[in-house]
Amino acid sequence: MSIVASIGTQLLRFALYVGLYVLLFDNSSVVLFGLGWNFFYLGFLLFLPINTPISLQLLLGFALGFTVDIAHDTGGLHATAAVLLAYLRPWVLRLLTPRDGYDAQDTVNVHQMGWQWFLVYLSLLVTVHHLAFFFLELGSLQHPLVTLGRVGVSILYTSVVMLIVQLLFFPVRRGRG
Amino acid sequence: MRNLIAFLLRYQGVMLFVLLEVVSLYFFLTNSSYQRAAFFNSANAYMGVLLARRTQVTDYFRLAELNQQLQADNAQLRRQLYPPDFTHREADSLPVGRDTLGRVVYRHLHPATPQVLTPQGQGLLAQNAKFKTQPSLRPDTLLLGSSKQATLPLVPARVINNSLREVDNYLTLNVGSADGVQPDRGVISAAGVVGKVQAVSAHYSRVASMLHSKLQVAAQIKRDGTIGSVGWPEGSDFSHAMLDYIPRQNKLVVGDSVVTSGYNSVFPAGVFIGTVESFTTEPNKNFSTVKLRLGVDFSRLTYVYVVPTPPRAERDSLEEHTGELSAPVKAAQAQAAKAKKP
Repeated sequence: MSIVASIGTQLLRFALYVGLYVLLFDNSSVVLFGLGWNFFYLGFLLFLPINTPISLQLLLGFALGFTVDIAHDTGGLHATAAVLLAYLRPWVLRLLTPRDGYDAQDTVNVHQMGWQWFLVYLSLLVTVHHLAFFFLELGSLQHPLVTLGRVGVSILYTSVVMLIVQLLFFPVRRGRG
Repeated sequence: MRNLIAFLLRYQGVMLFVLLEVVSLYFFLTNSSYQRAAFFNSANAYMGVLLARRTQVTDYFRLAELNQQLQADNAQLRRQLYPPDFTHREADSLPVGRDTLGRVVYRHLHPATPQVLTPQGQGLLAQNAKFKTQPSLRPDTLLLGSSKQATLPLVPARVINNSLREVDNYLTLNVGSADGVQPDRGVISAAGVVGKVQAVSAHYSRVASMLHSKLQVAAQIKRDGTIGSVGWPEGSDFSHAMLDYIPRQNKLVVGDSVVTSGYNSVFPAGVFIGTVESFTTEPNKNFSTVKLRLGVDFSRLTYVYVVPTPPRAERDSLEEHTGELSAPVKAAQAQAAKAKKP
């Protein structure tokens, strides 16, 4: 795929994830158990190509988080957590490298990489992101149980939504997307 | 030089990470300050337009509910417009006082006998009589607060963005400086106090709602006028708030209405805030812990009104220059001042 085409694809993905999140999955209307909400927009970062340069990932993470921050009036909260996720993603990918390394065609795709790989990848990154997000939002460790409850419910919610996105929209056969 | 470039390239990830985190945290930590540039929030022109469009679409699915709300609002206003005939009728007999046991005191028939009382007792008796023969000693707080504002119309606004479950929650309204909205204006709805304007752009404004951990509203209990302060402790749910600084010796009743006191110039006096749901007095605390059920249902907030404030800068600057007091001291002093008044 040419560079222009891939940049175009990524821009479209950015617009789709952020647009859907801001316009549809507003966190005051779609809430699980009255506690946690989903961070749908994280799909943009989580499903970037595996060989994206780290600096580009960090910048994209910042842009993503900051856009959501503007919509939700949270200052830089989403941006902080998203940049952390973007920084940790290459480490997690390295940690989970298959025995013979990643193929050039490998993408973050539940069909290609297998359920086990995908679930470990997803839960590690989402857990770190949500812990950072909710404790930073509170600005203290005052209500640990409630916050942990929110983190737990949100992890569940975000992970399930990400899985659904994967199963619905990601190609089953290798090398097409 | 080559080594330096190699070093920069090698650690570009870490450095960029630290830089971006510092920038984000700076934005996050300065978010609730008022000096913040008005651009980076949901009241800026682009995000405002986007959110307004979204509201246009989602409104379509809630038309019935919106109509009902407006109709209820209208009905209440009409009731004020056409009061029943006997509203202003006065009692056709002399007002009678009652003693502490509730028995009628025929003081106008038998004037109090001053010779048996000590001078102090006489003073008290005179004071009591004054209280009891004037049926409404306390002025109508609603009129008092709004006397200067009667000519200033409320600015009607539509909520186009709303958050409920964050630690500091904000609303975005579709009115801005072009409609006469300024920062620090109060925002109310038919059901009660909503919040306070924080930043405005030309056509949109951002409001810190009651569900904001740093917003405190000067309040009083309507029944006996005890003043306090309503705040929202971070992490609680969106239908409850806490009423602070109610001295523990003051009697509380579940179901008491709590209204704004008008002590801070953001809200006029007498706007409904909520009702007392539960309260506890602990032996080692001076103030009761009072839980309020908020009058406004923030999850279905649609139409609100921005309260115009007459030039009150003079009063505020006066109060600020005479010393910044912490809230409990302020509350206690105000309480003392209130008690001193006859």
